[in-house]
Amino acid sequence: MELQQKDPLREFAPQLERTSILGYAWIVFLLGVIGLGFYAFLSQVWYGHEVTGMRDNVVWGVYIVNFIFFMGISYAGALISGTLHLFKTAWRKPIIRMAEFITIIALLIGPCFILLCIGRLDKLHYLVLFGRIQSPITWDVIAITTDIFGCFIFLYLSLLRDLATLRDDELLQLPNWRKKLYKVLALGYTGLPEQQQRLNRATDIMAAMVIAIAIIVYSVLAWIFSVTLQPGWHSTIFGPYFVIAAVYSGSAVLILCMWAFRKVYHLEAYITKKHFVAVGVIMLVLAAFFGYFTFSDYLTKWYGSEKNDELLIQLLFKKFYWPFIISNYIGVLLPLLVVGIARFRTIRNITLTAVVVVIALWLNRYIIVVPTLESPYLPIQDSRPEWFSYSATWVEWSLTAAGVAIFCLLFTVASKFITIVPVTGLSGEEKKEDVLV
Amino acid sequence: MKRVFGYFVLWYFLFSFAIQPLNLYAEEKTDSTATPVESRMALNYLCTADSTMLTATLSIKKGEVSLALEHAMVEFSVVNGETSMVLGKAKTDQEGIAVLKVPIAGLTGDKEGLVAYSAKFTATGNYPAAEASFSAKPAKIRLFFSIEDSLHILKVTATQKNEKGEEVAIPKETVFIYIPRLFSLLKIGEIALDENGTGTLEFPKEIVGDTLGNLVVIAKIEEHDIFGFAQGQNLINWGVHKQYYKAEVPSRELWTPIAPMWMIITLLVMLAGVWAHYMYAVYELVMIKRLSKKDKPLF
Repeated sequence: MELQQKDPLREFAPQLERTSILGYAWIVFLLGVIGLGFYAFLSQVWYGHEVTGMRDNVVWGVYIVNFIFFMGISYAGALISGTLHLFKTAWRKPIIRMAEFITIIALLIGPCFILLCIGRLDKLHYLVLFGRIQSPITWDVIAITTDIFGCFIFLYLSLLRDLATLRDDELLQLPNWRKKLYKVLALGYTGLPEQQQRLNRATDIMAAMVIAIAIIVYSVLAWIFSVTLQPGWHSTIFGPYFVIAAVYSGSAVLILCMWAFRKVYHLEAYITKKHFVAVGVIMLVLAAFFGYFTFSDYLTKWYGSEKNDELLIQLLFKKFYWPFIISNYIGVLLPLLVVGIARFRTIRNITLTAVVVVIALWLNRYIIVVPTLESPYLPIQDSRPEWFSYSATWVEWSLTAAGVAIFCLLFTVASKFITIVPVTGLSGEEKKEDVLV
Repeated sequence: MKRVFGYFVLWYFLFSFAIQPLNLYAEEKTDSTATPVESRMALNYLCTADSTMLTATLSIKKGEVSLALEHAMVEFSVVNGETSMVLGKAKTDQEGIAVLKVPIAGLTGDKEGLVAYSAKFTATGNYPAAEASFSAKPAKIRLFFSIEDSLHILKVTATQKNEKGEEVAIPKETVFIYIPRLFSLLKIGEIALDENGTGTLEFPKEIVGDTLGNLVVIAKIEEHDIFGFAQGQNLINWGVHKQYYKAEVPSRELWTPIAPMWMIITLLVMLAGVWAHYMYAVYELVMIKRLSKKDKPLF
C-alpha cells in the first residue's frame, strides 16, 4: 500500500537514469552474441548459402522458422495490447507496454530472417519493380509494410503521455539530448481536455486497426504455405491456425518478459501474481484452441489417407517424433495442467510453462516447414540423400541466437529510453485501481 | 567507469576465445575447399547420314562438388595410328558441353573402318587437363515411307562402308524408332534388320504432329560396340493434325499479366481502409501538436 503514496516516476527514474554494471555486462554479452551472428553472416555472404543446411529440395529452414516465429510474437503483441486497450482491462497497464514493445521489436527482427534466406539480395528491389499482385509473397510484403507503420503509430500514441511526463519532470537526471528528444517526441502534449480526447480517439482506432491487421497479416503469412499444393501445407484452416499459434506463442513471450523485467527492475509491486495468472489464463485458452486446430488439421489429413499426407504423417511420427510430441502434446497439455489446476498456479510454474510453450511453438513451425520440404512431390534425377535431409548448420544457429540477442538488446534499450510500465496512468486513484486489482 | 571498461575488456577476451574454435573451423573449411581440382571429360558420338557430331562434356570435381566448366576450349581430333588430325575446336557452354559437327567424308579409319576420335582440354589456370576418346565405324541409316493396303509402313535400311569404300548392308542389328516430343524422344517401336540391312514397321496412326500433321521420325542404332550411336531421320505428314484450343475463361495462372479483378479490388479496398485510419491517427497527432500552442500545460 506504500506504493500508492509515491510518484511512480520516482520509482522508475533509476531505470532511465543509469545502467548498473550488470546491465552493461548484459549488453556486452548480447553484443558478443550479435557479433557471432555477424561473423556467421559474413561467412554466408563469403561462401554463399552452401554454409547453411538449405539445399535444392529443402530451400527453407531455420531462417523461415525464425521469421514465422518472430512475426507470430509480434502479431500476438499487437493483438494482446490492442484487445487489452479496447476492453479497458483493469490490470492491463503494467504489462501493456511490454506487449507493445514485443510487437515492434519482433516486427523489426522477423523480416531480417527472410533477407538471410534470399540468395540474391542484389535483386531484392525486383520485388517492388516486378512484384505481382497474384503472388502471396507480394501480399506478404505489402501486409508487413502496412503492419510496421500501423504498429509504430499505435506504439507512439501509447507513449505520448509518458513522453510528456518525462519531458516535464525536472527531477530526472538525464542528458540534455534525451530531454530535447522527449520534448520533440511529446508533440507539445500537455493533457488539455481536447488533446486527451483526440489522443484517446486515435489510440482506440489504432488499437482496433492493429488487431485487424495482425489477424490479416498473419493469415497472409499462412496463405503463403496453404495456397501451395504441398502435403501438410495445403490446408483451409492454416490462416486461423497460424493466428492462434501466433497469439499463443506471444502470450508465452509476454510472460517471460514480465518475469524478466519484474526481476531486473524490481517491479514486484506492479507486476503481481494476478498479472501472471491473467496472462496465464489467456495462454491456457489459446493452448486449448491451438490443440483443437492441430488435432483437426492432422485428423483430417490422416483420415483422408491421401498418399503424400500419409507419408508426411509417418515422417512426423518417425524422424520428427520428439519435436512433434513436444510441440503438439507437451506444448498443449502443460499450460492446461499448470494454469488450470489452482495449486500449480505460481509465478515460477507459469514462467517455466511459458518457456516450454515458446520452445514448443518454435518446434511447431519447424515441423510445419521442414518435413514437408523433405517429402517432395516430383522424383528428381541424380538425387542424393543429403539433398532431401535438412540439418541446420552453426551459421544458422548463430544467426538465430543473434536474432534473439537483438530482440533482448532492443528491449533493454527501449526500457532505458522509456519506463517499461506506463507511469502517467499510475498516479493517485487510478494507480490504486489499476495496480491493486 | 573503470569497472565498465574492465567489463568490456573482459568480455572482449571471452568473446575472442569463444570465437577461436569457429575461426579454426573456418580455416579447416578453407583448407577443404582448397582440395585439388580434378577435371573430367566425357565424349559422345552421333553419326548421321552425312556428318558426325562429337559432344564433349567437361566438368570439374572439387571435393564432393561437381561443376560444369564453362568457356573452356576443347580440341577435337581424329587419330589414325600414330598420326593425329585436328578436326576443330569448340568452347563449352554453361553446362560444360562443347559440340563439333564434321562431315564424314574425309575421315579415315583403321583396317576395320573404325575411326578413333579424341577430345582434349589443355590445362589452364586452376584446372588440370582432361581427355576422352571414342572409336566407332560410320554407319548410314535411311528411312522410307510407303502406304500398303491403307497401312502406313516405315522401312529402314542401314549401311556401312567396306575396305573398298563401297556401301554394304549392316545385317542383324536392332534399330530403335523415335518421334521427338516436347521434352524427350517418344519411342514408337524397334526394327530388327534382316541379312540385307533392311527392316519394316507398321507406323501408328494416332500420333499427333504439327498443325499440318508433320512428324519427324528418327531411327537409331544405340550404344553399339562398332557403330556407337548412328542416326537417320526423315519427315512425313502421317501425324494427326494438332488443334490449338483457346480457353474461353480467363486463366489465373501466375504468368497472367494482370491479377484477377476481385483480387485487385479487395486489396485496394483493404489498403485504402487501413491507410485512411493511419492518416486519421496522424491527423489527430498534428491537431494535438497545434493545440499545445493554444494553452498552458495542465501537469
